[in-house]
Amino acid sequence: MKVDNIGAPAQRLGGIDRVTGHQRYVADLPIADTLHAKLVALDCAHARILSIDTSVAEKVPGVVFVMTADDLPTPMPRFGPQYQDRPVIAEGTTNYHGEPVAAVVAETKDAAEEAATLVKVEFEELPAIFTVEAALDPAAELIQDPSIRRPGPFTETNILTEYHFGWGDVDAMDADMVVEHTYAWPMQTHFAIEPHGYIAAPDGDGIIVWSSIQHPYQLQKTVATVLGMPLSKVRVIAPDPGGGFGGKQHPKLEPLVAFMAMRAGRPVRLILSLEEAFQGVRRAGTEVKVRMGLKSDGTLVFQDYVNRFLIGAYGDTGDRISAKASFLSAGPYRTPAVRIVSQAILSHTTPTHPYRGFGIPQVTWARESCLDEAAIALGIDRLEIRLHNLVRYGEEHVPGDTPADGDWAQTVRKAAEEIHWGTPLPPGQGRGIAIGVKSGPTTGLSYATVRFLADASVMVFSGTSDMGQGARTIFAQIAAEELGVSLDRVAVVMGDTAVVPYDQQTSASRSSVLMGNAVLDACRDIQRKIRAMAARLHDVEEAEITVDRGVVHLPDAELPIVDVLKAGLGRMGGEVVGNGEARKEAFPDHPLGGTALFFEFNCTACDVAVDPETGEVTILRHVTVGDVGLALNPVQVTGQDEGAAIMGIGHALMEHLILDDKGRTRNLGAIDYRIPTSLDLPGELHSFSIENADGPGPYGIKGISEGSLLCTAPAVAGAVRDATGAVVRRLPLSPENVWRAMKEKT
Amino acid sequence: MQSFGYRRPGTIDEALALLQEHGDAARVLAGGTDLVIELRNRWRRPKIVIDLKRIEELRPPIREVEGRLVFTALAVMSEIVADERVQLHFPALAEAADVVGSIQIRNRATLAGNICNGSPAADTAPPLLVYGAEVVIAAKNGTRRVAVDDFIIGPGKVDLQPTELVTSIEIPISATPIAAAYTRMTRRRGTDLASITLCCGVDATGTTRLAYGSVGPRALLVIDNSGVLADPAASDEAKAPVLASMFSAASPSPKSMRAGPEYRVAMLPVLGARALRTAIERQTRVP
Ligand SMILES: Cc1cc2nc3c(=O)[nH]c(=O)nc-3n(C[C@H](O)[C@H](O)[C@H](O)COP(=O)(O)OP(=O)(O)OC[C@H]3O[C@@H](n4cnc5c(N)ncnc54)[C@H](O)[C@@H]3O)c2cc1C
Repeated sequence: MKVDNIGAPAQRLGGIDRVTGHQRYVADLPIADTLHAKLVALDCAHARILSIDTSVAEKVPGVVFVMTADDLPTPMPRFGPQYQDRPVIAEGTTNYHGEPVAAVVAETKDAAEEAATLVKVEFEELPAIFTVEAALDPAAELIQDPSIRRPGPFTETNILTEYHFGWGDVDAMDADMVVEHTYAWPMQTHFAIEPHGYIAAPDGDGIIVWSSIQHPYQLQKTVATVLGMPLSKVRVIAPDPGGGFGGKQHPKLEPLVAFMAMRAGRPVRLILSLEEAFQGVRRAGTEVKVRMGLKSDGTLVFQDYVNRFLIGAYGDTGDRISAKASFLSAGPYRTPAVRIVSQAILSHTTPTHPYRGFGIPQVTWARESCLDEAAIALGIDRLEIRLHNLVRYGEEHVPGDTPADGDWAQTVRKAAEEIHWGTPLPPGQGRGIAIGVKSGPTTGLSYATVRFLADASVMVFSGTSDMGQGARTIFAQIAAEELGVSLDRVAVVMGDTAVVPYDQQTSASRSSVLMGNAVLDACRDIQRKIRAMAARLHDVEEAEITVDRGVVHLPDAELPIVDVLKAGLGRMGGEVVGNGEARKEAFPDHPLGGTALFFEFNCTACDVAVDPETGEVTILRHVTVGDVGLALNPVQVTGQDEGAAIMGIGHALMEHLILDDKGRTRNLGAIDYRIPTSLDLPGELHSFSIENADGPGPYGIKGISEGSLLCTAPAVAGAVRDATGAVVRRLPLSPENVWRAMKEKT
Repeated sequence: MQSFGYRRPGTIDEALALLQEHGDAARVLAGGTDLVIELRNRWRRPKIVIDLKRIEELRPPIREVEGRLVFTALAVMSEIVADERVQLHFPALAEAADVVGSIQIRNRATLAGNICNGSPAADTAPPLLVYGAEVVIAAKNGTRRVAVDDFIIGPGKVDLQPTELVTSIEIPISATPIAAAYTRMTRRRGTDLASITLCCGVDATGTTRLAYGSVGPRALLVIDNSGVLADPAASDEAKAPVLASMFSAASPSPKSMRAGPEYRVAMLPVLGARALRTAIERQTRVP
């Protein structure tokens, strides 16, 4: 039986449950005897804690205990994905708005919430630092005590890390024209529909932690470290998250919940409100200063960047985001000289977490907008200047890194064609185009196990988290294809470290490629065993037999794998188990520790109308084209691409965290943090894939889940400028900001 | 949420008796789209919540009584939007009701709750002001009627005692009908609270009634009797200064997260002119 799963629009595994409300998230898990926790936080960004009086709170009926820093080991355990600087709970000071200073554990949620309002914290509010300028002031308070910093030249400053990348000599270059501008991207929040949820329960001499986390194995390691347990005693169960967008990658409050559960000797549950989730994770705000030098024919001669990423009070992944995104500042353009300075700057704000695009949208906003400026100043078409400088297939855009791994001009031309580039628009309307490119993972490790059961059904075990991107379906399609069974005979087991083998992470659009390859490898392992079975059953040499895509090719016959499996297992039954592995090795000498496994390359173009009186922007037609290698499941590719485009439209038009003059986040929650609704979608939204089967994943796929939000903002801003002449360099393109820019122009 | 008592009276008298008994400690619940949020966030901590939804006398929720259209305390936005009498006589109210929240919210949110809540951004306040609506208020010792313009006081404040209940909001179906239009400014097209709410109405006598909210502590009603604004033949240039003067009392908060004061002030005449144009178009279409 030949099953053609590859390239088929297979229906989403778990999709019906997800959209009908049947899926069980952490908050829905019925775990017996569970206690409820509620966090206590101060309504200020930065404060010295003088005393915490829990006596009144502890008298609320049902309260079991109130946890503060005093109840935790000394020194306070600290953790983090890159820097072990985040305390389990605030100790001595709070360093961002919402940082928990205490947590109430009670028999009911209501009791915990009531008691949380009765914990009396005496504190002294301290001036908070929450802008790049204030953080870099030489007289500024140090946000992190040098004792928790890694020694280095910046320990006595608020710069967590500074990187210098580049090639050629920018200062020696001869340009006909130099354009220089600064572009700002505001802090934003992930706004996963499911806020973070955690449960921890003592389990014999170990612990079980449930979390809506993207990287279960990283959580296992963190909990094992803070509790001093071996990995084998920490079981992490990660039910499919309800959206993550990077905001659920790394542990945050799990260590606290684990300590509370250990103290209570019972399961403890902490489900965040949306407001608390906003205070838990956010995207880095940036200021990118870009200088571009060009020849009068539009040829780029240099690009010069100073990228400032305003990260939070703890390192989290802020350093990595600033480094990895800045490394690709110059984009996919052939440029003889490039200089990039990238800083990750600490502040008294919510720690910066990875966010779909991993910093690339912020630098792309600057580069593509500046390129538009250059094109307009030189009188060159904005599409032509891009095509003119774009690297060709196989050409390096960053010396020493992976060269262009696709026919990128094909992608750009497709977008131009679909937006009807060059055709006239009525007055009040404008057109924009932009290009985004992002490195996939630079290192990686995934294992998968596949069990081929006696009735020819299949179980795939994978440590990937399916948070809505559809990873389950992809892995099932690969297994179904390779083992020659129909999709409904495949079950995909995920999210339990006691059951699935190790996976490094679910991020960077990596899972279909890396975990996909691991699943494929596991299927090949099974195919080898099937080949041995076939050799035994048919009395031929193994070397004379090939097995692929569900079929066993004997010298004189072809048999479905399934038949060989059944005959081979015989009356005893049993199963055939395959193990697979996929690695992307590190390169210690590479500035990022490794080259790009693949690139996500996208070109976005749009037509907008701008209300000349109010500044309201309407996207009439939005086109996104991605180089996906191969669409293993075209419906899912389109879904991811459209979803990312809409998310990018939100970033472009409306999203920003608003801080007050003391650094407190004002728009916590769904009323005043605006994301697009179905009514805010473009009049037309078209997603296209370029498929040349030239990616490193199974059957030639590349990662695709971030591409179409990489360059949305500059495409829309370019269209707004085309329509009105108004230039916005500070997002969002809210009616007010566009209106102001229109006024300033005149 | 903290615990509280819950009662569901079957008659207005029963509800009034409960209010009389509990006073300040009681809170009336209609659709709950404002109240439940306040309860959940512990901003309001009533001892008892009195749910109006089972009071039979308040049904049907929309009725025509002696030349007035009566919206009882149970009339929800989606019923108002769908009602043909509202569409015929008070299209601006239908337009305002149609943008409150989302479909789910509009199926629960009452007109009375929108006004009793006292939000400066309440979408239905401007049309009710323009159409000259009245609030009917019941208490143990009798009923009183107050013009919406007098009922609304400031943020979260309305002319209502803890022992009183709004039983209905009523709009006169006038012999000189007001042709009106509603418009607003938001940060996005889907569910949003407005940074400006605005309703403009004209009548055959040349009077223009303009009401706007979300740019100060309460929605304001301004009336122009000069006839310039309502005149279909007058030029935009002639109207501009009159229109601008209508907004002199606007005082948008500099602290608002929705839009800056300068922008809001600049947008008032823009929205005003647009609503006025639509109102005049509707006026000329009135049979
Ligand atoms: C997601 C969301 C979006 C929203 N969007 C909008 C919007 O776009 N525009 C807008 O204007 N509003 C909006 N609102 C607010 C709300 O929906 C409206 O104000 C609604 O009309 C309130 O009516 P209700 O019946 O739900 O009132 P409730 O919540 O039941 O009551 C509101 C207040 O009025 C009091 N009250 C209610 N009825 C009476 C009565 N008969 N007598 C005395 N007191 C009474 C209550 O005690 C309470 O204090 C939104 C709310 C939500 C949750």
